[in-house]
Amino acid sequence: MSQFSGPSDLGDEERDALEALLFRMADDEYVAAERYIEWQIYAPTLESDLALANVAQDEYGHARLWYDLLQDLGYEEEELIWERPPEEWTHATLVELETESGDWADTMLRTYLYDTAEQLRMEAIVDSSYAPVCDRVGKVLAEESYHREHAQNWLDRLADEGDEESFARVQAALDRLFPHALTLFAPGPHEEDILEFGFRTETLSDLRTEWLEIVVPYLESLGLDVPEPDEVEPVRTTGRNGDHTDDWFDLYEDFTATYRQLDFDKPTTLRGEGA
Amino acid sequence: MIWEVFRQEKPGKYHQHCGNVHAPDRDMALMFAQIQHGRRMQTNSLWVVPRDEIGEVDTEDAKFGGTTDKAYRWAMTYNNVDASFAAEVEESEDEQREAAKKREAAKKQEEAQS
Repeated sequence: MSQFSGPSDLGDEERDALEALLFRMADDEYVAAERYIEWQIYAPTLESDLALANVAQDEYGHARLWYDLLQDLGYEEEELIWERPPEEWTHATLVELETESGDWADTMLRTYLYDTAEQLRMEAIVDSSYAPVCDRVGKVLAEESYHREHAQNWLDRLADEGDEESFARVQAALDRLFPHALTLFAPGPHEEDILEFGFRTETLSDLRTEWLEIVVPYLESLGLDVPEPDEVEPVRTTGRNGDHTDDWFDLYEDFTATYRQLDFDKPTTLRGEGA
Repeated sequence: MIWEVFRQEKPGKYHQHCGNVHAPDRDMALMFAQIQHGRRMQTNSLWVVPRDEIGEVDTEDAKFGGTTDKAYRWAMTYNNVDASFAAEVEESEDEQREAAKKREAAKKQEEAQS
């Protein structure tokens, strides 16, 4: 039995901690998808375009699962996305970085690093004390396995079975992205309370250890040189407290542009959405 | 390389050709087929087959012998014979009707369950 069955069971502190957790998860998914869809019509082949679009669509769907729970706590959609100041978003910097033009290796490595962490994070909230969270984890887990398989299929071919250039690109992407991938496990606001109230049942540091135990041997098996996690110079901005790289502010400008230009006072919805 | 994709909707049904994908090898072909031809459609199983491995009898050769008149296979001549003079024929027909009904009922039940 979960300790909290819904919003009315939460006190102020519990509510703040739960919101921090939900924002963190939702923002990661949403921003990751925003970068993936930049490949639309530009991916190497039609098939790879469709497969990545499918991954992006899943991530938007996952973001919605968590934003929906924030709406249950009283937020409106425009406050969650279109009108939320960019410095209040708490996604990891890994997902916001601009993808170097035409660098498919960057995106494939990014999805691998991200989706492996995502799997572990979902397993750490399967027994969340907030019942509506537990109810939604299954859908995410079911879809993440395709995402990892997709990323690994590509990495196997680009790094292990690829040519010199494709290998070099994966290695360069790894050097560039690895320090940012570690921000997936950087603490944000109310981290202690998130654990204290049982919203997540594993510490970030345990998740980081488990993640390293999976990704390091795999990447090394492809012949890649993986940076030593404890010797990596930490990135100045983790994203988790709302501090971000410049790439994020540009991206935010882009995806909110239409909303602002058309002077919407509320987000438009698709036919049947929310029905 | 082109892989032809075959989708099976339900267990026991035929895999039917539904399109193709470009992929360098079988694993990638399966992965792409899953998105393009499997997901969001009723799918029980998918096959991918290298196009080069498919043999074809082309239009010209498929005409071989033409289509022959097989009307002789339909024994319609006896349909209008009144068989009531022979009790065993009537019984046999009753049995056949009964069996047909049972088959029909069993099929409906199976469909309702699936």
